[in-house]
Amino acid sequence: MHARTVLAGACAGLLTLTLAACGGSGSSTSDATSTPAASTASASASAPALTLVDGWAKSTDSMPAGSMSMTGVFGTLTNATDKDIQVTGGMSPAGSMVETHETVKNASGTMQMQKDLDGFTVPAGGTFVLAPGANHLMVMGLTQELKVGSEVTLTLDTDSGPVEVTASVRAFPGAQESYVPTPSPSQ
Amino acid sequence: MTATTTGGPARRGLLASAAGAAGAFALAGWSASDGSPRGAPPRPQDADPATSVRPFRGEHQGGIADRPQTYAAFAALDLRPDVDRDAVRRLFTVLTDDIERLMTGAAPVTDQEPELAAVTAGLTVTVGVGPALVARAGATVPAWLAPLPAFSIDRIEERWSGGDLLLQLCAESPTTLAHAQRRLLTAIEPLCTLRWVQRGFREPFEGEHHPMRNLMGQVDGTVQPEVAGRDAGLLWCGDEGPAWLVGGSALVLRRIRMTLDTWDRVDRLSRENAIGRRLDTGAPVTAPAGATATAIADLNAKDSLGFHVIDDGAHLRRAHAMAPHERFLRRPYSYDDAPTEGSLSDSGLLFAAFMADPVRQFVPVQQRLADKDLLNLWTTPVGSAVFAILPGARDGELLGERLFA
Ligand code: HEM
Repeated sequence: MHARTVLAGACAGLLTLTLAACGGSGSSTSDATSTPAASTASASASAPALTLVDGWAKSTDSMPAGSMSMTGVFGTLTNATDKDIQVTGGMSPAGSMVETHETVKNASGTMQMQKDLDGFTVPAGGTFVLAPGANHLMVMGLTQELKVGSEVTLTLDTDSGPVEVTASVRAFPGAQESYVPTPSPSQ
Repeated sequence: MTATTTGGPARRGLLASAAGAAGAFALAGWSASDGSPRGAPPRPQDADPATSVRPFRGEHQGGIADRPQTYAAFAALDLRPDVDRDAVRRLFTVLTDDIERLMTGAAPVTDQEPELAAVTAGLTVTVGVGPALVARAGATVPAWLAPLPAFSIDRIEERWSGGDLLLQLCAESPTTLAHAQRRLLTAIEPLCTLRWVQRGFREPFEGEHHPMRNLMGQVDGTVQPEVAGRDAGLLWCGDEGPAWLVGGSALVLRRIRMTLDTWDRVDRLSRENAIGRRLDTGAPVTAPAGATATAIADLNAKDSLGFHVIDDGAHLRRAHAMAPHERFLRRPYSYDDAPTEGSLSDSGLLFAAFMADPVRQFVPVQQRLADKDLLNLWTTPVGSAVFAILPGARDGELLGERLFA
């Protein structure tokens, strides 16, 4: 199910919104260094291990009032290491947590998104595409507006430690798939 | 036009008028960033016009001094009331990224139709700002950045006038244009409301044998300042104005309706008299037979009865610069929209002209035309707008970034 992997380079973009694995630079957040595996995510200081290329998030300006509880984050996760990287979720200053989501067909045949409990595997030296209507990240429990043209930061949980990425906040009328909070046991 | 293919400075049309001080004019040979003068063989990168790309980064924006593409759309927007300085900066963040992607064929990050963006077709998107946007960014508004004075010939309609933000989109494909316009308008929709869109076109087969002709059939855009050389100061804003505008320009956009129903009644001789140029070649009526459009007009020539050969009310005479600074770069497009009820056409000219200072350079000419111009019998300005055209975004810079300096 972790399909949709394309070769790195095929989606080279202009705006590489990126960010080094936290463990690599000794910068940023304190909890980064507390994760023993953090340093392994970092191939070298110049080539961040996991980046989000062309990352963007749907702005809350485009959402109907009152429905502003979460938002999708898209782009191309790019793994510069020779080891698969598993992304299982994360944190963001903009919300309560970050989840990995997939879009599936439900019993009535409509497409719904739901939490992907396994997370995403970004293959060694490869990419993992996050797109509306497909696999994506979700910032849950938004605590602030995400205004078009601003940036949102996410700290992703990976099996090689936390990785900070940023996404450009954009107006987007799509990504309104109905949401299934937890897959019911019967499905 | 072949003006710049002869090498060296373009040939100049120096009118033999009393006001010869107006000096030299280059005859339209577009050069600048896409490199090719009109009619010149395409450069290798233009081998497939579908994927030809014009530079986004640089000292100046594209869509000004470069050869006009065949299709254009001018979209004016107004900032929403709650847009403050920070929101203006966010606006330029989105515009810069999306325009750069569209111009290079990469498609904006939110684009679900990237196949349409891949056909760049020489797309340029040129961003201009009105006084309200400059004020909200907290920057100095140049004195000329205001509506033009009302002229006696004007029948200006609000729906074609004014605006806080301008996007001029030009491309060789109308599909490319429609896609880029739609993507940009949706991208900034939380910050702006759409005020008007005006669409235009030029001659798709424009070249040596097919000059740009407006819908009255006249060769249009012949006499131009030499903006790639000695007249660059007429086009680009310099140190005399606000620092954020250095390398920028000003756009005057006049929507001028042509009353083709009455024009149809006019014979060709009278039509040539109205302009002072021949219809077939675009040459001045004073030029010898066989002359081309680039021939020099003789404003002093008289006929056997002592009348000026170029009529005292001819558009050429009235529009001709009476002082060297009364010149600007014309980059016009025709429009031909759906006729309103009871008429057979809604046609005219999107008179787009770029210059460093509209009040100084454009207003005296427009005033002369309002006072007297045979063309006024068949043309009526129905829309009017003035925008400050931002300087180009240098590497790593946002469009409009210097507004926040
Ligand atoms: C529908 C309206 C108009 C039409 C059909 C029109 C048409 C033409 C034509 C056929 C020429 C001669 C060829 C050339 O040099 O391009 C010309 C020249 C010119 N026009 Fe217009 N024009 C219009 C409006 C205007 C306006 C509003 C202005 C400025 C206020 C203007 C300024 C000029 C100038 C500066 C020239 C060059 C004069 C010279 O020979 O020195 N035109 N126009």
